[in-house]
Amino acid sequence: MSGSSADPTSGAGDDPAKRQAVIERLDRVEDPELARSIVELDYIDAIEIDGGRVEVRFTLPTAWCSPAFAWMMATDARDEVEGLDWADEARIELCDHMHGAEITTGVNARDTFGETFPDADGGVAEVRAAIADKARVSTQRAAVDALLDAAVDPEQVVALDRSDVDVAGDEAHVDLGGLSVVVDADPIADYLDRVETSGHVTGPDDTLFLTPEGDPIPAERLDVVQKRSRLASVNMGGQGAVCDALHRARHGPDGPDGSGASYVDQSGGELSAYDGDVDEFTSTWTLSSDD
Amino acid sequence: MYEMDGEEIFVIDGHVHLWDARQENIIHEGGEQFIQCFYDYHTGFTPEEKQWDIDEYRHYGADKMTEDLFGNAAADMAIFQPTYLDDFYDEGFNTTEQNAELAEEYPERFVLNGSFDPRDGEEGLRYLEHLKEEYDIPGVKLYTAEWRGESKGWRLDSDEAFEFLEKCADLGIENINAHKGPTIRPLNRDAFDVKDIDDAASSFPELNFIVNHVGLPRLDDFCWIAAQEPNVYGGLAVASAMTTNRPRKFGEIMGELLYWLGEDRVLFGSDYALWNPDWLVDQVMNAELTDEQRDEYGVELDVETMKKVMGENVAELYDIDIEEKKRQFRDDDITERFDLGAHYGGDAGAAAD
Repeated sequence: MSGSSADPTSGAGDDPAKRQAVIERLDRVEDPELARSIVELDYIDAIEIDGGRVEVRFTLPTAWCSPAFAWMMATDARDEVEGLDWADEARIELCDHMHGAEITTGVNARDTFGETFPDADGGVAEVRAAIADKARVSTQRAAVDALLDAAVDPEQVVALDRSDVDVAGDEAHVDLGGLSVVVDADPIADYLDRVETSGHVTGPDDTLFLTPEGDPIPAERLDVVQKRSRLASVNMGGQGAVCDALHRARHGPDGPDGSGASYVDQSGGELSAYDGDVDEFTSTWTLSSDD
Repeated sequence: MYEMDGEEIFVIDGHVHLWDARQENIIHEGGEQFIQCFYDYHTGFTPEEKQWDIDEYRHYGADKMTEDLFGNAAADMAIFQPTYLDDFYDEGFNTTEQNAELAEEYPERFVLNGSFDPRDGEEGLRYLEHLKEEYDIPGVKLYTAEWRGESKGWRLDSDEAFEFLEKCADLGIENINAHKGPTIRPLNRDAFDVKDIDDAASSFPELNFIVNHVGLPRLDDFCWIAAQEPNVYGGLAVASAMTTNRPRKFGEIMGELLYWLGEDRVLFGSDYALWNPDWLVDQVMNAELTDEQRDEYGVELDVETMKKVMGENVAELYDIDIEEKKRQFRDDDITERFDLGAHYGGDAGAAAD
C-alpha cells in the first residue's frame, strides 16, 4: 500500500548475502504459541536493507493474535537482526494488527511492554515462562522415547540427572552407572535446549525428566507423563493448523502479496494491505478472535 | 439423520447461532473486526465451493438457517448458543431473544440456551430468572471475553460468577457452555489457563460444563482438567472444521479427546454459521483415523462412537429422547417443509424402531 517498491534502495538492490543473513537471523524467531519459526510460518512480508539499516515488516494470522506474543516476536526479530555485526539498526513493523501501531512504535523506541501497555495484566516474562514450559513438556516425549527404544528401563529413565547425558555430534551418550547407551542426538539435544530455556534443568545434578508440574516422575507414572507430553505437542500443532488457516484466509494461499512468490524471492518492499473493511479502523481495542 | 454402516445416526448440532452483523447493527469497530475475524475462520476452513460472501455471512436470517440445518437433513436438531456482544452491536450479535424467534417457530427442533454476565450483578440475576421463566432455558452460553465498558472480561471462578452458577443450580439451568478461545487482552494471564473451569466444575458437581472449541489453543490443559472432572465436556466446534483441510490434525485431536475424556463427553457442534452442517456433518462422519493414530490412541471413530459424539451425548445433557424425536419428526413442520417424510420413515409408515 505504501508504494515502497518504488524505493530504489530496497529489494533487488540489496546485497543478497546480507538479505540471507537477515533471513537466517529471523529464522531463529519463533511464534511462541507454536514454537515454530516466523520465517517457516511465512509471517514476514518484506525485508529492506539500506546499508546498516534493516527494516522488517511482518503480519500475523489474525489482527487479534495476542499482543504479548506479537510483542515477543517483534522484539526478538529486532534483537536477532541487530545481532549481525553490520546491522546498526533494525526497524520492525507489525502490520494489520489491532495493536500494530503501538507495538511498532514501542518496539522501535525500545520501550518496555509495560510502558506500551500500561494496563496489561502481567509481564511478558511470565508469558515467556509459560510458553517455554509448554515447549519443554512437548519435547520431552521424543527424548524419553529415544531412551526407552534403546531398552533403557523406565526406572532408569526417571532417575537420570543432567550430568548423565552428553551430546556429541550425532550421538547422545547416556550414562547408566557405568554402562553407556548411545542414542540419536536430535531428540535429546532438542529437549535439552528447551529444558534449559525453561530453567528446569540447569545444574548437573538436576533431574533430567520431569512431570508437566516440574516434579520428578515416579517410574510407574512415566507412561501417563509421556501421554501428557504427546497431548502438549498435539495442542501446539492444533493451534498451528488454526493459525495457518487464518493466515491463508487473510492473505490467500500464495502469501501476503498474492503473487505466489515467497518473500525470499521477491524484489522486496512490496507490502499488501489487508483490504477488508477492517482497514477503516485503527483504534486500539481488543477482543477474542472467536465466538 | 445420517446413515453409517447401515445404522441411523441422529445428529444434534450442539452449537449454532442466528447472528446479525449487518453494518447498521454495528456500533463499535469491535463489531466489524469481530465479524471479519469470523469470516476468516469461515473461509479458512470451508471448502471453496461452499464459501459464502461476506454480505450473506453478516446476516443470513432465520429462513436460510432453517434450510441449511435441516433442508438436506444434515442435522435433526440444534442447540442455540447466544453471544450478546452488546458493546459492539446495537441489538446484540446473537442474543437469546434473537435466537428465540426461530427456536419458538420450531420448538421441537431447537433447544434455546440463555446467557449471563456476572458483571451485571443483581440486574443480571433478575435477567437470568426472566430467561428461565420466559424460555425455560436448560443452559447458558458464557462468553468470558466479552467487553463491558472498561472491563475486558471475567472469570468463571470469581465470587460473582459463582453467585450466578448458584442461581443456575437453583433454577435447574444445568448446562454451562463456556467459550474458551484465543487470548483477548494485552497479556491476559488467561492466555494459558482453563483453570477457572476446573474450580467451577468441582464446586458445582450438579452442573455440566461444556468447553467449546475443546479449549483450543489449550487442548492440553483442557484434557487434563476434563480427565479429572467428570462433569466437564468438550464441544467440537472449530476442531470439527479441521476435517476440511487438516483431517490428520482432526484425527489427532479426536484421539486425544477420546483418550482423556472418553466417548461420552465429546459433543459435535458446527458453530453455524461459522461452518455449515449442510456439508460439515458429512465431512466429520467420513473422517478416519490413520492406522498410526489407531495404534497410538487405541480408539476408533466407529458407529457407536459417532452415534454418541454426533447426537446421543448432547441428547443426554438436554434430556432429549431420540426415539421419541424420530417419531415426532415423521410429520413435524420441518419434515413437511423439506419433504423429509421418507427420511424419517413417516409416509411409508416403515419406521422400524
